[in-house]
Amino acid sequence: MSARIGIVGIGHCRFGNSSEYDLVDVIAYSANDAFRDAGGLHLRKEVDQVLVGNMAAGMFNHQTSVASALVSRMDMEPCPAELVENGPASGASAIRLGYMAIASGMADVVLVAAGEVMRVVSGWEATNIVATMAHTEAEYNMGLTLPGFAGMFTRLYMEKYGMTERDLALVAVKDHDNGAKNIYSHVQLPVTIEAIADGENANVVNNYVAEPLRMYSTCPISDGSAAVILVNMDSPKAKLFAKKPIRIAGIASATDTHCVHNRKDPLVLDAVRLSSEKAYAMAGVGPKDISVAELHDAFVIFELLNSEEVGFFERGKSFLGVRNGETEIGGRIPINTSGGLKAKGHPVGATGVSQVVELVRQLRGEAEEGRQVKDPKYGMAVNFGGFGNNVVTTILAKD
Amino acid sequence: MIDFSVYGEQTPHISGYKCLKCGMLFYPAPMVCKGCGAHRDPVTGKHWEQFDLEGPCKLLTWTRVWNLPEGFNRKFLMFGMVEFPNGLRASGRVECEGDPVIGATMDATVVEADERPGTPVKVFVFR
Repeated sequence: MSARIGIVGIGHCRFGNSSEYDLVDVIAYSANDAFRDAGGLHLRKEVDQVLVGNMAAGMFNHQTSVASALVSRMDMEPCPAELVENGPASGASAIRLGYMAIASGMADVVLVAAGEVMRVVSGWEATNIVATMAHTEAEYNMGLTLPGFAGMFTRLYMEKYGMTERDLALVAVKDHDNGAKNIYSHVQLPVTIEAIADGENANVVNNYVAEPLRMYSTCPISDGSAAVILVNMDSPKAKLFAKKPIRIAGIASATDTHCVHNRKDPLVLDAVRLSSEKAYAMAGVGPKDISVAELHDAFVIFELLNSEEVGFFERGKSFLGVRNGETEIGGRIPINTSGGLKAKGHPVGATGVSQVVELVRQLRGEAEEGRQVKDPKYGMAVNFGGFGNNVVTTILAKD
Repeated sequence: MIDFSVYGEQTPHISGYKCLKCGMLFYPAPMVCKGCGAHRDPVTGKHWEQFDLEGPCKLLTWTRVWNLPEGFNRKFLMFGMVEFPNGLRASGRVECEGDPVIGATMDATVVEADERPGTPVKVFVFR
């Protein structure tokens, strides 16, 4: 791929409860933020394409045509605008399609804005809506949910590799420590291992959700949005933006079987491995070159499994790396410096863009004190759609 | 006169599928055979065999879910993934006393469930 495509603007709102706000306003907030970061709101008139990442506005908000609404709300007509839906990987898929639009020569500047307002419905309903991405007949109809699959998945991993529930809690402690320092996090409170694993009240504080997964092994239901502005770095328009581009060195996706039980080994996430291999090849780098990673951790077990599939750890060894502090800010490979989905939150359609915003902040050196990785060169984001059946991997480079 | 034949029709079933060209088995139904690329016409079912998926199976993993989705007025439900002797796997509900054991032989049955609004759906129960 010869095109040099970079990110010149980032926007993000604080994740949490925005259920009193209109979904389009929530997404527009981050789009505005991205233009201000890039040099000013007037730059919206330079955009050739708007792509909106959203998973389920039709179900959560009873609203459709979100991309058309955003363009109008932002005074960006007649700019072309489309919605991208790929479950919880909608955001990263929108970035990938934005990259393709520029690489094809059909656009020089693309606004990718993504968001979800989920807390407008009860947790009971939200769990059901998210579960609709499972196979209707063979999974959803059984009553299975994403936490249910993650629970089965975690038990299998524990049986096979000897991981304990305390190891899961250690990941949560690390993620919450990072999230507590992130101004955009839904949960800005650190937790201790005593409170959620070792203490006598830990079973009450950290109750089971889907055994052996507990509350602190599971992401919250969040509202929020994030946005990035992509530019063709070799186009004259690139000079209009104030910020030096952070280059998209590699971006790739892969799919896997819809039914989890139809995978040869249910513990192997082929789509993560394949998409990361393609992204590494495109970027011309390998796992050892990555300085910081945002790995989709809707459930803590995903952070561990993803870190193995992308080559940071051998299979079945990632939890040992967490015990040794290798994934902390000052460790060998800092993972989920934003707090991850676990602490930062998971507004499903926004998450992929939010991960990329965090990488840009890290590569620019703009992360808050205490969670800035020292002199990072390459950042990687893995965004999951479904239960690992449609995955996008992005690698950013600071040139 | 009692027509006993209707009883069979009222028993819920879940089907597995066999491609008659290459013999590969599937659950749930595919539209294209992974083994030989043969098309399955869901209306005629020509060149495909449909069979009941039930009976003995081995438990691969399980969970007890405490945050059930909309419609489920229960404290918790157990779910599991099993493998049948023919190699097909399935996910469904688990019913047993205490905690199930991975590797245990279970009996797969099919029931109709109506927790959610709309037409009742067919559900695997592994006991």
